[in-house]
Amino acid sequence: MSYSKENVESIVNNGLSRRSFLKGLAASGVLSSFPGGILQANEDLNTKIPYLGEKSYKTFRNACPRNCYDTCSIKTYVKDGVMQFIEGATESTYTRGGCCVKGNSYVKRVYSARRLKFPMMQVGGKGSGNWKRISWDQAMDIIAKKLLEMKKEDGTLLGAALTKYSGNFGITHYGIEGMFNSIGYTTRLAGTPCWPAGIDAQNLDMGDMWCNDPEEMKDSKFIILWGVNPASNSIHSMKYIYEAKKKGAKVVVIDPVFTEAASKASQYIQIKAGTDGLLALGMAKIIIDANLHDQKWLDANSKGYKEYKAYLDKEIKLDNVSKITGIPLAMIKELALSFAKAKPATIWMGYGMQRHTNGGSMIRAIDAFVAVSGNIGKYAGGARYGHLNTWGFNYAALSMPKPEGSVGYTGPEGAKGDVAQGKDAKSNYTDRFLNINKTARELINAKEPKVRLLWVACKNVFAQDFDRNQLIRAFQQLDLVVVADQFFNETAKWADIVLPVATQFEEYDVNVSYWHYWLTLNEQAIKPLFEVKSDLEIAAMLSKRMNQLQAGSCTFPQSVDTKAMMVKEFNPGIYEQFGIKSWEELKNGPVKAKAVIPYADGKFKTPSGKFEFYSDKALELFGSALPTYLEVRKPYDKFRMTSPHSRWSLHSQFQNLEWMEDVHPEPYVYINPDDAEAKMVKEGDTVAVFNKQGLLRVKAKLTDNVQAGTVLMYEQWYNNNIYNVNELIDDTSSDMGAFKTGAPGVALHDTFVNFRKL
Amino acid sequence: MQKAFLVDGSICLGCNTCAMACKNQYHQDKGILWRKVREIGAEEYHIDNNNILPTLVSYQKAPTAEMPMERFYFSLACNHCENPACVAICPVGAHTKDPETGICKHDQTICIGCGGCVKACPFGASKFNEKMGQAEKCSMCWERQADGKTTACVQSCPVGAIAIIDLHDPKYKEYANASPIGIDYAINAETKPTTRFIHPSMPKEVYRLPKG
Ligand code: SF4
Ligand code: SF4
Ligand code: SF4
Ligand code: SF4
Repeated sequence: MSYSKENVESIVNNGLSRRSFLKGLAASGVLSSFPGGILQANEDLNTKIPYLGEKSYKTFRNACPRNCYDTCSIKTYVKDGVMQFIEGATESTYTRGGCCVKGNSYVKRVYSARRLKFPMMQVGGKGSGNWKRISWDQAMDIIAKKLLEMKKEDGTLLGAALTKYSGNFGITHYGIEGMFNSIGYTTRLAGTPCWPAGIDAQNLDMGDMWCNDPEEMKDSKFIILWGVNPASNSIHSMKYIYEAKKKGAKVVVIDPVFTEAASKASQYIQIKAGTDGLLALGMAKIIIDANLHDQKWLDANSKGYKEYKAYLDKEIKLDNVSKITGIPLAMIKELALSFAKAKPATIWMGYGMQRHTNGGSMIRAIDAFVAVSGNIGKYAGGARYGHLNTWGFNYAALSMPKPEGSVGYTGPEGAKGDVAQGKDAKSNYTDRFLNINKTARELINAKEPKVRLLWVACKNVFAQDFDRNQLIRAFQQLDLVVVADQFFNETAKWADIVLPVATQFEEYDVNVSYWHYWLTLNEQAIKPLFEVKSDLEIAAMLSKRMNQLQAGSCTFPQSVDTKAMMVKEFNPGIYEQFGIKSWEELKNGPVKAKAVIPYADGKFKTPSGKFEFYSDKALELFGSALPTYLEVRKPYDKFRMTSPHSRWSLHSQFQNLEWMEDVHPEPYVYINPDDAEAKMVKEGDTVAVFNKQGLLRVKAKLTDNVQAGTVLMYEQWYNNNIYNVNELIDDTSSDMGAFKTGAPGVALHDTFVNFRKL
Repeated sequence: MQKAFLVDGSICLGCNTCAMACKNQYHQDKGILWRKVREIGAEEYHIDNNNILPTLVSYQKAPTAEMPMERFYFSLACNHCENPACVAICPVGAHTKDPETGICKHDQTICIGCGGCVKACPFGASKFNEKMGQAEKCSMCWERQADGKTTACVQSCPVGAIAIIDLHDPKYKEYANASPIGIDYAINAETKPTTRFIHPSMPKEVYRLPKG
């Protein structure tokens, strides 16, 4: 018995339940030739499946690798080689058997009709839409030849650039950087759009970015969620916050937006965007004046407290703090004093707050307040931002030697990515680093040699980077743009070659979080669909072709399986930290690192070894040794536009899925009713939101969750909607970021727009 | 025994995880959700398009005036009514009420697609699947429960805002006598819906910047 595609479709369309259909296929032995293909032939097929009982499935361990605090441990249920459903792993007390709305859509991500299936080439030029299916061999041949040609003509491979970011934070995915390391010195888009200003701030203050276990928050007596909205973006953290609240802790949300988290807090305090740092300085002054600061801790563990206090005494006027932040002085006092009296108390700072031109300074000011209150180094305390404390893998996939005779960049030492990079042997050369937050203009301006090839991996450039019109220009002037992705997003539209990439369910990997302390194995649960390949396999194929054309031109292994690479990433340090003897133990479920309380021993990795109110490094780099008040960017248009993450997407991922469209079908601009009235805009009207950068047409939702003078639009990418909030965002830098991540952050929330009814 | 959903609106995040967890488990077609998370304070109770005869168009506004939209939610699937309209109307007995658990099941191998249940259900719980020409709805994951697991929505809710309780258990007396959904929109309460809803509440202190 054999099934043609028409055959399959007709059976399914005739209403046979998929279950009996699959049974039929399995019996006939043809299932292997349709690995899940039947699930995607038509996105509207009747695919309803019953639950068949735990024993009917094979289960696999997976992880959600998508740059989310929660990095959920997943248990995947597979039957007849087809993913049926997923659950959160119950072994992880953090995930506790659940994922979020996004994670629960994974089956549809894997079997989406919209997935990229084959390598393709745009024959009519970038943006022409004239695509041709090509084979992997053809694709690799084109790319390899281009690279070798560039090397010959330029004498170096600095003309080849890589832009990769957070689409998949799995450890083996650093193999993409490894692929670029293995061909010579190249150009990298360095830095991070996410959290750089805050990383710098915490490193200046404490010599590291390191946060307490979020699960401890359940025992905190006072929690300030400052510019963070876990009810949308770290939902599994909410249960600890609820637990604390239930035990009597006060939970205060400080945010310009009345967020989902704010609606579940004890107190919500609206603040004028970009003035948070001043509020923290004022609060510190209040508790010092009230003698509620922890003098003992400060004497033993800090540097420059005296200078800091002198600054507060001289420069911080509480009336001004109240006026500028917009918060009544009595409320500020009450907040500061009750925080200082509650022990332990903690502040969680979000990544939104540091997306201002004064973002790093604001994080420094809040760090300082937590330090003054004596909550650093304490169980259930801490100035929480994020951590990379469990990321001590080998980065074997990344650490590739340069081919013999590679020539690179001789300029001043370049920047580094935000996550550990391999230790290069001493060399006269380095890679060339361009600022990822100014991708468009950096690609255009790079000279000697100019950038000719761009490889895009784990990143949707057009949805993540700024100044779209410049981006199009930048892409058009490149000889070859290669985009490796899972969906045909806007970046793919501007590519020359598109390569279909495996999902985490089709490869091996290992994942940790920058928030909690769990370690999760990611197994290959199903055979890769269509012609998709893992990023590592792609690297190996490219290496093979390059070496065929010119032996020794690429040092990346010429065949690699993701499992073997994953195994190489483990080391005794990881085993020790997580209390396991072998990676195989992870098949039984995720494990948690041994409990540590950051800085409990009073040792900081700063030059002085102490918490630094006064930082020489900060003075050298940013012109101010102390955490001081820095005014935020001046408005250049009528309304501030804020563009936080939504619950429906992680950057540009997930919102494009068919299932997600059922719970959140379209984008909106959220406008305060007062502003809307002044502009005669009603709920549901289509409005034009515009500024010097561009214009967006989008439906209006009126809500006083957003303060007057501000509009809110989420960052999202839809499948059939040209909405892209980055259309309106310029690439203005925040104050910090270059110190640790190679480039300053972007002041995303210092974007200003106007709008009118269409 | 009468199994029922207890949804705690005071902690529900409106994250839609429960609705998606249900899709993840059963793969409903595009456009169909067995569980839906709705906003409290929205003017209209939006009946799904595929409800042939919406019987319910509005419900009482938010419990307190200052409770803003998009921040307070109720998650609703089939209510597994004590006196279900779907069971009463089904001409072929595709809908049955499990005498032991009180779960209202729908059997697609029997369903002839007349759509009677879709019209009869006052809560929009029963959906019409155009392609199959059949009805479908939340089964309270009875297969999962029979297998010793909890429902997909309960298991996935990150904060435990949904629970399955037995309305007839004296332990839950307070809920047994509570108004059906908690929020006064169960106009057709003669079906005796079993879902119970704990009211949301605003933070004790809310400070917003003054206008201007
Ligand atoms: S997006 Fe975050 S919360 Fe959702 S499944 Fe992935 S890691 Fe978990
Ligand atoms: S019931 Fe739970 S899963 Fe559903 S929306 Fe509320 S918090 Fe999210
Ligand atoms: S909610 Fe509707 S479908 Fe569910 S039992 Fe009641 S009447 Fe039937
Ligand atoms: S009980 Fe099961 S079928 Fe019903 S809404 Fe929850 S997950 Fe869906």
